[in-house]
This record gives sequence, structure tokens and C-alpha cells, in this order.
Amino acid sequence: MILTLLVNEWRGLLRDGRAAMLLALGALLAVASTWTAASTDARERLAQVTATGDARDAWIEREADNPHQRAHFGDFVFRPSGPLAGLDSGLQMVTGRSVRLEAHRQNDAVHVPHKEASALLRFDRLEPSTVLNLLAPLVLILAGFGTVASERESGRLRLLRIQGASPVALLLAKALSLWSIGVLLNLLVVGTHLFFAQEAAAVGSTLAYFSVHFLALWIVSVLVACVSSWCRRPGTAAGVLLGLWVGSAIALPRLTALAANAAIPLPSRDAFDAAMQEDREKGLDGHNPRDVRRLEVEESVLAEYGVSTKEELPVNLDGFLMQADEEYGNQVWDQHFGRLEQLLRRQSDLVASLSLANPLQAADRISMSIAGTGLDSHLAFLNQVESHRRTLVQKLNDEHALGGSKTGDWAWKPELDFYGSFATFQFEPLSLGQALARCRAEWGALLVWFIGLTGLLLYSARRLERGGSL
Amino acid sequence: MIRAALGLELRTLLRSPLRLVVLILTLGVGGFVIAQGQGDVQRWREAIDAGRSKQEESVAEARAFLDADQTGPEDRPWIDLTKPLWQDRYAATRLVREPAPLAGIAFASLETDAVAVRISRSTDPLLAQGAKIENPELEAAGGFDLVTVLALFIPLLLLALGVEVGGHERASGILPLIRVQSGGESRWLCARCAVIGGIGAAAGLLLVLAASVAGAVDLGSSLIFAGLVLCYVALWTSLLTVVALVARHPSQGAVALGGFWIVLCILVPALGVERAAAIGAEDFALDLTVDARDAGGAAGDLDDESVFESLLQRYPRLELDLPDERPSVSYVERGGLGFIELEERMKQREALGQEQVMLVERVSLASPVVAFTRALEGLAGRGPGAAQEHQRAVLDAVSDRVERLIAGTWKGDPLDAGDFEELLASTPEVLSSRQRAPTKDFVILIAWTLAFVAAAALLSRRGSRRRQVPQSSVAALA
Repeated sequence: MILTLLVNEWRGLLRDGRAAMLLALGALLAVASTWTAASTDARERLAQVTATGDARDAWIEREADNPHQRAHFGDFVFRPSGPLAGLDSGLQMVTGRSVRLEAHRQNDAVHVPHKEASALLRFDRLEPSTVLNLLAPLVLILAGFGTVASERESGRLRLLRIQGASPVALLLAKALSLWSIGVLLNLLVVGTHLFFAQEAAAVGSTLAYFSVHFLALWIVSVLVACVSSWCRRPGTAAGVLLGLWVGSAIALPRLTALAANAAIPLPSRDAFDAAMQEDREKGLDGHNPRDVRRLEVEESVLAEYGVSTKEELPVNLDGFLMQADEEYGNQVWDQHFGRLEQLLRRQSDLVASLSLANPLQAADRISMSIAGTGLDSHLAFLNQVESHRRTLVQKLNDEHALGGSKTGDWAWKPELDFYGSFATFQFEPLSLGQALARCRAEWGALLVWFIGLTGLLLYSARRLERGGSL
Repeated sequence: MIRAALGLELRTLLRSPLRLVVLILTLGVGGFVIAQGQGDVQRWREAIDAGRSKQEESVAEARAFLDADQTGPEDRPWIDLTKPLWQDRYAATRLVREPAPLAGIAFASLETDAVAVRISRSTDPLLAQGAKIENPELEAAGGFDLVTVLALFIPLLLLALGVEVGGHERASGILPLIRVQSGGESRWLCARCAVIGGIGAAAGLLLVLAASVAGAVDLGSSLIFAGLVLCYVALWTSLLTVVALVARHPSQGAVALGGFWIVLCILVPALGVERAAAIGAEDFALDLTVDARDAGGAAGDLDDESVFESLLQRYPRLELDLPDERPSVSYVERGGLGFIELEERMKQREALGQEQVMLVERVSLASPVVAFTRALEGLAGRGPGAAQEHQRAVLDAVSDRVERLIAGTWKGDPLDAGDFEELLASTPEVLSSRQRAPTKDFVILIAWTLAFVAAAALLSRRGSRRRQVPQSSVAALA
């Protein structure tokens, strides 16, 4: 019965010129957005590789210099794209792309190339995830707002009932027919992405991306069928559903962001920098100023080598002092950046819990996470970059201290191949398991919606049987 | 006719909880974001105050040393305030960007420019970061300020209030009755749309008034703001009229209006954002990172003659201060060369940014929503134009510092308190955010409105002619 009704629904959709046009438009958008996003992503990846290569060449080709000079010369890391960034660029439009690695400082990612287009950046990008998460629900709404209401208005509903169609089967078939449109769009998007993708996408991630949108589109399809069955007139159903779409796709994500910012405010950059600077100078406890710390290190190195003056040391004290200062600085950065990261995560958790009210937002967050372009990926990137910076600076300081120079000798230079021995930064993206595990609240939200709407579908069917409507 | 339509719409509004809720929600959300905007402006001012207080600390410290005839702190003997380098360091003037009175309405616009930049010979305005630390996840959700509320929600309010106009009359068969009672269906539908537009305009103006009062905005800016909002409401009202004149059914009207809203508010801007991403795809700022650092190294390798030549070409006035016996090139002159390269990088950046700005202009032609948001951002003194202007002012101030530093070093005379005060006085401290005149955007909004009005007039005339033909045919037959 359900299959017959489903085939009937599709026949009706194809017969209705508007619906067919809508489907064609949806398909066109899906293919066009995937194609353009894939091409932009490919160019970005190539440019990132070139930039990384340029930075590496500059590091290697520079003539040998003092390790501390080299630590100030520094290196650059350029943010790589997420594994599935061609499908969902996530936060990459608003996060900086270049990080400078140098001694004494933990720098943030800077340079957002699109900031001059700020009047546009308050809107979404036309990419596959926008099509699936924002436009596909709309296509389903426009194709299906009258799916039951129109049948009721035209009297066909009664005819179907007389022919033996049960309300549950009828509503299920309506929801399935709408969902199949979503499935087709999803297949088109992912298929086109795989066709244009430069690198073979991980099967697991692609399947997970598939699944989350399947689930979200099923929720939308059931909701459309239920609302349509509740409304007496198609116009009312259209109004209610469009209102819900505007609320969940446009208003709620922005409102939750605003609420998170208001509930958990972040410090201003000035206040953040000033607090870090103060701790760096005066010590984390406020009683351990820099000069005292220097003396302590000096005494401990002298004691370790059993000498009484720094001139007698067989090693370079400056290297030890700089590394000790660096390690102290790292404690300061860890405390301040750690606190900032906690604030960012608390904001993110708040938005995640608020997404319980909005399945589209929950799906969007999971989609970003799977694509490796969400907040967790960004923070993982920054943490890995910082860890790389610390290794780099430590190696330079160790060379300065133990490479063969004496205290105060700033002109000493190691062999040139020493600088060639530094590894380039390799970003390890979060695994699919880690990405999914961090979206537990969002998965929970989708599950609640799935169960809730299945219940609503059954309730609506019973209501339909009794002839109830808005 | 208008009076009858007004009565009907007000009654419908009061009777329909859904419509009333939409109206109250629009106003409530608008009020909320106005308050948030004011909070943002407050934080902006606090960042400026923090910068200024650091400036005062540094200046007061230097003045104390100079008044006591000391060259600097006793525990740091290398500091010498009679030298231009240290006077430059201690004259830590902050060039601040004052918020425009309407800055709060566009607080969600993506800006990475700092609001208070410390001026010294080594300041790089391209690397100065914004005053706010943003959570990228919240930033990527899209801006939600008064600009967004007006641009996206006012059309939705009109859509919610007028979704059934025309379609309901035709579907329920009451049009002949209207024709008999009021003489013309088009006039009736236009009157209904005008009243709905009036309600939308009133809601918009209420928000404009609230934002203007909250920001203590001058009358001129408030009037431009109100004019833009009225123009925008007129545009959507004329679109509503077009749909009302053709919709055969409320659902048809809903789909048509929803479709227009989606195309103009979502699809066209989304295409623009996609294009912006494509333009910036290859920009990994090598000019600001690897190239800038390498250029600094290359400047260190230049011979003295080339260094002097470049400096005198950029600063011809320095010729007067150049000693007969040229000094050997030091970090002062090489720093000057570094600044000349920074100017070049700035020019390149501006050219690159211009491409994005041109893109926004092109997209604003295709979507009045983008034209409207651009106009409001300009009126709020926010956005890339304002940031670039500040960066340019910072660069000019740094250029002056560089020239003074080189001249002072070449002269070699010890500097005193008077020179320090002169240095302070020569550095600008405030750049008021200049509002961008939204002339182009006004023209775009008016052109779109006129296009919809023309379409409505055409449809209305065609409709009345179609109805007249059978009557004349009947008369001829008689």
C-alpha cells in the first residue's frame, strides 16, 4: 500500500509543473554549488601547499645564522583545508589562515581574505552544505506544504480513504515521497563532490555526512507531512512551514550565537593581551618577577656544571635562560589561552544544547564537524601549531645552549644542515570518531526530533482519521 | 479606499494572533539587537579608553624623566630619552577610531581592524588585530544586528501580513463584490498593500527612532537612516502588490513571495559569498608573511648608497638634514626602508581588497538586500571602507614618525622635553569614523522599487482592460 501511494505521490509531483520546476532548480543548485565549492577548495589546497613550500624554502635557503636570530626570523604555518571542506567549509570563511611561529610569543591565526566583502559575509555561502541544510528543507516545504491539505481541499483525501488507504500509510507515503526528493539531492551533492574531488574522500566521513543529512531531511519531511495534515488550507500550511523554516534556518542560529555571546562574554583583546603581559613580567603568582626567575636558572645551571661564574661554563647560559623563559611563557600562554579555549568551548556547548530546539542547526554542526571545519578542528589546529612552535623554539634554544658556543656569544652559528633538520608542520585532523564523539548533544537532539516526529506522525494519522484539522 | 483597507488590516491584525506575534517579535528582536549594539559600542569605547590610559602612562613616565633631567630609568641605562628612538618609543600615541553615532546598528559586521593602534616607527597597520576576540563558530552563524533584522525581517513581516492579499479575494470569489462596491479590484488590492506597507514602515521607523535615540544620533544621519528604511519598505510593498495582483490563491501568493524573499535575501547574496570565497581562495597573505619577512632581510643586505637613495626618494625633505659626511647605515635607515616596503604592501592589499569591494557592488545590483545592508554598514561607519581609512591614517602617522626619527638621528642633537611635546602634538590621535554616503545604494533601491511599481501598474492596467473587453462586446452585440 505504502509503495503504491509513494509511486502515486511521485507521479503527482512530476505532473505538477511547479513541483517539477522546483526539483530541477534544486538539482541545478546542488550540482552548481558542489562544482564551484570543489573548484574553490581545490585552488585553496593548491595555494596552501605553495605557501607552505615558500615558507619552507625561505627557512632552508636562509644562510646559517645564530639560533636565536632564527627563532626571531620564525616560520609560518598556513591553515590547511578540512578533509571534506569542499562539502562544508564551516568556519573557514571567518578564521585566519596564517600563523607566525616565533620565540617569546604564541600568535593567533591572522588574515581573513574575504573581510572586505563584509556586507556579504552576514549571509551564507552557496556550497553543498548550504544546499542540503538550508535550501533542501525549503524545497521539501515548497514541494510538500499542500501534500495533505490540498488533498483535503480537493476531496481526494476522502476518496483515498474509501479506497482503503490507512491514514498512517498515507502520511508515511507522503513523508517518504518528500524524503526521497531529499535523498536524491543528497546523492547528487555527494556524487558531484566525489566526481570533482581532487583527493579521495574518506569513505567513513562521506557516509557519516550522508547519514546526518538523510536524518535531518527525514525530520523535515515528516514535519512537512504532519503540518500539512493539520492545516485545513494549503496557504496556512505554507505560512506555518515557511515561518518554521525562517525560524530554524535564519533566525535561531543567529539568536543562539547572540545569546551565547551575551551569556558567556569573551575578554577584549586588549584586556587579554595586557593580562598575559602582566603575568609574563610579574610571574603567574604576582611574586615571581622575571629577574628573580633568571637568577634562579643561572644558579641552577652553575650548580649543575659545578662552576661559580658563567664565564667558566662549558655551555652557553643564554640558551638555558631563553628556554627557561620560554617554558615559563608557555605556562602563561597555557593558562590564558586555556581559559580562552574553555570560554569558547562553553559558548559552543551552550549553542549545542540550544540546538535541541532546532534540528537544522544540530545537523549543521555535525556536518561541520565531520567535514573537519568546525570549532574543534580549528582549536585542534591552533593547539598543534603551538606544540610545533614549542618544539621548534626548544630545538633552537638547545642548540644555542649546547651546540658549542659560550655565554654571550651571539655571533656563533651552527652548521647550515642543522636548519634543514627541522620538520615541517603536519596537521593531523581529528579522526571521524573524535569528530562524532564531540557532537553527542547534536546527535541527541536529532534523535529526540526523530522519535518525537515519528510519534507526531502517528498522532497526526489518528487525528486525520477523526477528520481533525486546523 | 485607503481608509476601508486600513480598517480591515488593523482588524485582521488584532484578530490574528499569528500576525500580531510576528509584528511583536520583529519589534522585540529589533529592540534586543539595538541594546546589544549599544553594548558593543560601549566595549569599543572601553578599548579606546584602555589604549589612551596606556598612552598617558607612557607619556607621563617620559615627562617625569625629562623634567628631572634624567635620560630614563636608572635600572635600564640603555634607555636615553634625548635620542629620537626612545622619544618615539615613549610617545606611545594611540590613533583611535571613534565609533560613528550609528555604529551599534551594524555591530555584527566582520571587522578585523583595531580601534586603537599604538603609533611608533615600527607599527604595521596590516598586522594590528581587532579589539574583539571572536568565537569563529558564533561569527560564522551570520551577523545578527539591527542591519540584519531590518534587511531580513521587515520583508518577512510584510510577507506575513500580506500573504493572502489578492489570492484570498480571488479564491473566495469576493472580487466581483469588491468591483461593485469600490469600483476597481486593483485599487482595492493596492490600497491593502499600501496599508500593510504602512504598518511595516511604522515598525521600521520605530526601530530607527529607538536606534537613533540610543546612539544620540544627529538629525541628518537619522533622516538618511529613516529614508533608507522607507525606501526598502516601499520596495517590498511594491513587490507585495505585484504578487497580490497575480496570485489566484493564497498558497500561490505565499510561494511567490517566499520565493522572491529566498532569491533576494538568500540565494543572490549566497552566490556573492561563494564568489568572494573564490576570489580569496589563493590569498594566503604571502605578501604579509614570508615575502615581508624576506624583504626585511633583503633590505639588510643593500649597500649604503642604495639605502640613502631610496630614503631620499621617498622623503625628499630629509636632504636638508643629511650631514655632509654621510653616516654609516644603521637600523634607523634600514627601518625606514622597511617602512617604504610596508607602504608598497599596503598598496597591494588595497588593490586586492578593491576586488572584493567591487564584487559587493556588483552583487548589490542583483539584490537590493545587499545594497541595503551595504548602505547601513556605510551609515554606521563600519565595514572595510572605514577600516581601510583607519589603516591609511595609521600608515601616514607612522610615516611621519619614521621621517622624524631619521632626521633626528642624522642631526644628532640631543632632544629635550620640548621636542617630546612636539612629537606628541604632531601625531594625530583621533580618526572619526566617516559615514559613507549611501547615494549608489539609494539609487539601486529606488530603481528596484520603480521596476516593481511599473510591473504592478502594467498588471493593474492589463487586468482592468481584460475585464472591459467582454462588456464592450456585449454592448456591441446588443
